[in-house]
Amino acid sequence: MNSLSLLKNPILQRELIGRLRSPKALIAIALVAIVSCTLVLMRWPREATIDLVSQGSIQVFRPVAYAIAIAIMMLTPAFPATAIVSERRKGTLVLMLNSPTPPWVIYIGKLLANVLLSVLLFSVSLPAIFACYAMGGISIAGNIIPLVLIFLGMAFQYSALGLWVSSRSQSIDASLRWTYGILLGLVVLSIGPTVLVGKLSGLKAWIAQAMTTLSPIPALQQITGAQGQSQSIGIATGWVEFLIMCAVSTLGFALATLYKLQPTMMDRSRDAGKVIEAKQSSWLRRFSYLVDPNRRKSGIPFWLNPVMVKEFRTRKFGRLHWLLRLIAGGAIVSILLTVVAATGTVNWGVDRIASSMVIMQIGFLLLLGPSLGANLIASEVESGGWQLMRASPISPWRILSGKLLSTFLTLLLLLMATLPGYVMMSYIQPAIGGQVSNVIVSLLIATAMVTILSACVSAYSKTSAAATAASYAVLLVLFAGTLLIWLGRGNPFGPVFVERALLLNPAATALAEMKAPGFETFQLTPNGWYVGLSICAAGLVILVLRIARLTRPE
Amino acid sequence: MSDTVVETTNLTKSYGDFTALSDLSIHVNRGQILGFIGPNGAGKTTTIKILVGLSKPTSGSATIAGVDCSQNASKIKRLVGYMPDKFGSYDNMRVHEYLDFFGAIFGIPASQRKARIQEVMETTSTTYMQDRYVESLSHGMQQRVGIARTLLHDPEVLILDEPANGLDPKARIEMRQLLLQLAARGKTLIVTSHILPELARICNVVAIVTAGKLRAFGTVDEVMSSLCPQRSYEIQLASASHIAQAEKVLGQLLLDSEPLTSSPAELTLRFPTVRTEPELAELLNQLVAAKLPVTQFRELTSDLEDAFLSVAGKD
Repeated sequence: MNSLSLLKNPILQRELIGRLRSPKALIAIALVAIVSCTLVLMRWPREATIDLVSQGSIQVFRPVAYAIAIAIMMLTPAFPATAIVSERRKGTLVLMLNSPTPPWVIYIGKLLANVLLSVLLFSVSLPAIFACYAMGGISIAGNIIPLVLIFLGMAFQYSALGLWVSSRSQSIDASLRWTYGILLGLVVLSIGPTVLVGKLSGLKAWIAQAMTTLSPIPALQQITGAQGQSQSIGIATGWVEFLIMCAVSTLGFALATLYKLQPTMMDRSRDAGKVIEAKQSSWLRRFSYLVDPNRRKSGIPFWLNPVMVKEFRTRKFGRLHWLLRLIAGGAIVSILLTVVAATGTVNWGVDRIASSMVIMQIGFLLLLGPSLGANLIASEVESGGWQLMRASPISPWRILSGKLLSTFLTLLLLLMATLPGYVMMSYIQPAIGGQVSNVIVSLLIATAMVTILSACVSAYSKTSAAATAASYAVLLVLFAGTLLIWLGRGNPFGPVFVERALLLNPAATALAEMKAPGFETFQLTPNGWYVGLSICAAGLVILVLRIARLTRPE
Repeated sequence: MSDTVVETTNLTKSYGDFTALSDLSIHVNRGQILGFIGPNGAGKTTTIKILVGLSKPTSGSATIAGVDCSQNASKIKRLVGYMPDKFGSYDNMRVHEYLDFFGAIFGIPASQRKARIQEVMETTSTTYMQDRYVESLSHGMQQRVGIARTLLHDPEVLILDEPANGLDPKARIEMRQLLLQLAARGKTLIVTSHILPELARICNVVAIVTAGKLRAFGTVDEVMSSLCPQRSYEIQLASASHIAQAEKVLGQLLLDSEPLTSSPAELTLRFPTVRTEPELAELLNQLVAAKLPVTQFRELTSDLEDAFLSVAGKD
């Protein structure tokens, strides 16, 4: 099949044209272009001179490269993660699989459409990248071409990942959650063993190094002149290794998806449900579940909001047995981190341990919050349940409070999982008790913000897929975007601007409170709380008005 | 005291320049089943939404048990059980939990809810599926659960949008029996359906709307006689060779307003007429006198579908 016939692929044409028609895609592309060009303009030299060894250009080049990389991470997986599962639910996948078009053509069409969209996304920032080149100090062969190849590798890898998860998922929100969860693992957790365990040897060292090639961070650091930072924490891989890993993992994801993408994938009976009576439950089952999802439920008591109970019962992930497992996992990790620090296994201070815990908690919030919150209203409207609730005497306020509580309490339980770690930390170093309290307040504000903002997005979305993708984008812009500005502190952003941007991010307030590396100079408490609470209040007002509008007679 | 439960008076709903419903006036008595008929976009759903308090009329009024639907929407929601055409399924929820949730949002106390759920499940014959996930149910099962849901708060009026849509013949019969059973218990039902013979079998009154206007309203017989005043007659002969001769004889006897159509393959001739029985007997005598071998002379029964088509065809 030559390149021309590839472009004639009907799936590719439909997917690409369909997405390019969407105003949201054009807004995302325009935003990337504006942000990258603004970053360059801010640092453009006043004097018309070119400096061949300029450090200024690399300092502009770095945030631009990271900004585009984050945009690719945020936007590229969203569409493929919903591509197969949503077509299966709508019934259009079975039509395609029953046509003479072979599955691999369908797959290639979906993959290439998404990759081309990502290429379009980062190509609009090329003028900004070449402007850095014009400033001197970076080269086409040494910096620009490797950067474009890294972006291309990321586009292929994340598109293939999204399609693979989508082919295995039963619901859109589960697919998005798993995709972003695995992405987080690929980008951040893959460098964890090298960073956390320090100097390893033999096979363990080789495996840890191999894992770092899954993350684009070392590759980006290498070509943006920050390789020293990677090497200081023991990472020895670069962009070539990352590209090889991208090719291997893309091929692996593609083969796994094609294996699944057969007409037989629809050949499964509907789960009718099996009820376990309390007396029938074995000890093993009771131990593994703690709260058995198949046990017969009693009626909703009068003192509980029925909408909240319904939300807990209807989502697969939000059910109690999953939460308890996650809380147990979170508690173990947080205690381990503290014990490791206390016993001197790694040379970390309490501040660094606390920073790791804050990052882990924010990771949990950002991974789970948008998919829980974004489904609150959009999926109800989509399923027809909203119409039924409107026809009942329940008040709009009770609907809203039940829905918000179901997400807020879930996220709160996750935060509580790390409390044992903080308690141990306060025991080891009693002087930081006040700081720990402030961190917890910041995290509570972050939880409220994630809940309210994703519910707001949900209230204005027509489908749960769009709501979930938009919620991830909004929250990542708020949490990761402000950290990107922090990354460019000194150059091109001044300290006042960075501090103001960080006030929007409650995670940054928590990190600054614990004097995490890089945050020591910022004083974000209590102004960060006021800003966070103001965002929550504004979001809540918007949400109340929207719910009133959605529930009142037409 | 009037036994009217549902009443609309000059009900009108406009969206900008578009009038979705114009001057609709109908009334339904306690224990009656109203068949609400109309093509897509005729204004049926608009009327239903006003009746259940989800939409406000531009002018006119609608009352249920004397309560104004737009002024007192919260009271209306307790008086009406509404089943939209979309089921409203939730993932990972069993039938029992599903009914428990709707019972709770209708404010049924927890102490009474369990017994009430059992009662509505028995009424709708859904007890055996109480532990099944709602999304795993077939369409017919979901429709039954949908009716169980509308019965939970024991409403006076049930408004069912296309309850027989997509059901197989057996499920349709069961649904018909269930609706008749509910009417016998004193519930007032408003049912929309595209399957008009179904409605004709269960409805006491029918209302036909097209383009937002009420075209006919009354009992099935009243609607039939107002919309189909002409009766159709069919004459069957013993052989096709006599069709031409019969056409010639009838051509001399029938008026221009009684167009004759023939079907040699079926050995029949048909014509609409408003003649009385003695006039028809005379017509038959003329055919026999012409030595035509008449094997059958009978009236063709008109149904609700003919009545609906006679109205829909005018738009």
